[in-house]
Amino acid sequence: MSTLAPSVGIIANPVSARDIRRVIANASNLQTADRVNIVLRLLSTLSELGVGKVFMMPDKSGMRPLLSRQLNRESQLGHGFPEVEYLDFPVTSTVEDTFRATRLMREAGVKAMIVLGGDGTHRAVARECGDIPIAGLSTGTNNAFPEMREPTLTAMAVALYATGKLSRAEALSGNKVIEISINHGERKDIAIVDAVISHERVIGARALWRPESLNALYLTFADPEVIGLSAIGGLLQPTSRESPDGLMIELASDPAKAQFNLRAPIAPGMMRDIPIANWAPLKAGVDYPVALDAGVVALDGEREMTFKPGEHVNVSLVSQAFFTVDVTRCLQLGAVNGLFRF
Amino acid sequence: MAGNPFPLNKGQLLEAYRTMKTIREFEERLHVDFGRGDIPGFVHLYAGEEASATGIMAHLGDGDRIASTHRGHGHCIAKGVDIVAMMKEIYGRKGGSCNGKGGSMHIADLSKGMMGANGILGAGAPLACGAALAAKLRKKGEVAITFVGDGASNQGTFLESLNLAAVWNLPTIFVVENNGYAESTSRDYGTAVDSYVDRAAGFGMPGVTVDGTDFFAVYEAAGEIIRRAREGGGPTLLECKMVRFHGHFEGDAQTYRGPGENEENRNNKDCLKKFSAEVAGSGVITIDELKAIDADVMLQIEHAVVEAKAAPFPTLADLTTDVYIKY
Repeated sequence: MSTLAPSVGIIANPVSARDIRRVIANASNLQTADRVNIVLRLLSTLSELGVGKVFMMPDKSGMRPLLSRQLNRESQLGHGFPEVEYLDFPVTSTVEDTFRATRLMREAGVKAMIVLGGDGTHRAVARECGDIPIAGLSTGTNNAFPEMREPTLTAMAVALYATGKLSRAEALSGNKVIEISINHGERKDIAIVDAVISHERVIGARALWRPESLNALYLTFADPEVIGLSAIGGLLQPTSRESPDGLMIELASDPAKAQFNLRAPIAPGMMRDIPIANWAPLKAGVDYPVALDAGVVALDGEREMTFKPGEHVNVSLVSQAFFTVDVTRCLQLGAVNGLFRF
Repeated sequence: MAGNPFPLNKGQLLEAYRTMKTIREFEERLHVDFGRGDIPGFVHLYAGEEASATGIMAHLGDGDRIASTHRGHGHCIAKGVDIVAMMKEIYGRKGGSCNGKGGSMHIADLSKGMMGANGILGAGAPLACGAALAAKLRKKGEVAITFVGDGASNQGTFLESLNLAAVWNLPTIFVVENNGYAESTSRDYGTAVDSYVDRAAGFGMPGVTVDGTDFFAVYEAAGEIIRRAREGGGPTLLECKMVRFHGHFEGDAQTYRGPGENEENRNNKDCLKKFSAEVAGSGVITIDELKAIDADVMLQIEHAVVEAKAAPFPTLADLTTDVYIKY
């Protein structure tokens, strides 16, 4: 689809980085005002590079009124911004808002979606974005999936793709997901970094931070330079985002049966000894039934799905499940091809 | 514990349910009795918010202090204040928690660590700092908790208390019970930066947001926060996002609500329904056990009302008694 004023979506989770890990791990908290400042930097950059319209996810957690006040001030100063349109739907202040905003942005024909959040937020967008690419910004707790980068640079890369200066083949990368299915599809969900099986049985405060509660990990990639539960894999058997395989790790419930303890940062600043029993590549397209009788599946760091005795849980790795804007490659191509010369 | 998926044993789960159910039925009964004109003054009902008080107070003992709000009945019940004495107090009768001279907004029971409901918004926070300072000096590992609504969190007393607790590293926990409305004003209109966690960060203390309609989310987060405070880790702010089933006060026409909002809250955000569904579906507790508690709670509430109505009013001679506490 070609338009004179290509549009981009911005999904900014107003409540990422607010959970119990602020207490148990001294994790950071990006304040609402800083989130709004990030959006302002995105908007001004997108505008300068030809994006005419931006769709925003509405919220009831303070971002919208703060952004509106800032945009009014900026317009009085004569600064240029794209047209900003908030999607019109009743805000639930749950992940349903992210799902719905993603769907509506797809329908509106955005070229890409810029996501502010942690792994959980990106997972929610990935579930609904279809073939619309994501460009992630870290405003969450673990942030294994979104890269740490100045938002201006992310917006520059997104603008090159959204305005057609770079093609899909040039600008985008495919990503793996882990599909979780309970009772043969009765309940389904995905993880974009880690699906972790835990002995915990309630959703509770959502995060997982007690090593003794962990049973098995299924990872799309394992990077030694990230924190969170996937760091266990990163320090055990690094597995790249580009690898066709993921990684599965079985933990020893009896420490005496562990091959060794791996000391890993399972939350910011929280190094814990993890008893490793076994690990192996996770092959795409293969079904991996979960051995634990009852527990909870944590998706990208948060407890999401409980399962009871007798319920069948299956894990599988899917390749090329959704696409992301490769910011590094876009900026390099932009420089080499003179796309920033005006 | 084998077969029990919850972080509480069966007895604790049943007790948590009983507390939440008692709060709910206590408030629903007041809703009816106030509407009939039986109760003097004002009442502000806590129905819908039970998971917050119950999930937090489950970690406290009588030596831990709390400072409540104008919407304090739930805090009182969860802290162990006798419901007959509470009902007498609300009915303005002798034998009430404050001998019938305080009413709904001034119920206190120091023997339970309940320093008082409070008609002044934001006034509980400095009291909790004082109690926390005492606890710190006594070195018994006790904590003090102040509850505040999302509206009252804009009061200077609250913000000053965050500062004081941070600089003195007090075992104070600031619980923002965010039901979305400051009386009738939506937080969207009345709060400049609408994250209470951001405010905590501004004072250099951790802040956590939980689903205040999920008992287990509150219980687990509060457990970590209270443990941290007991061990000398200092203050924390806990925001419980919740819903209020009734108006700001009884008689509030609630014209500020969106269409269907109350029904949505009752149908899909009821902490008691969520708790019941979770524990009864687990096989640990049966529906019949919950129903038995329901029936017993109704009897207890009826008994409290009967006792309250039968009690005498304070006399003129009682007017000048109980002004100062005796130590």
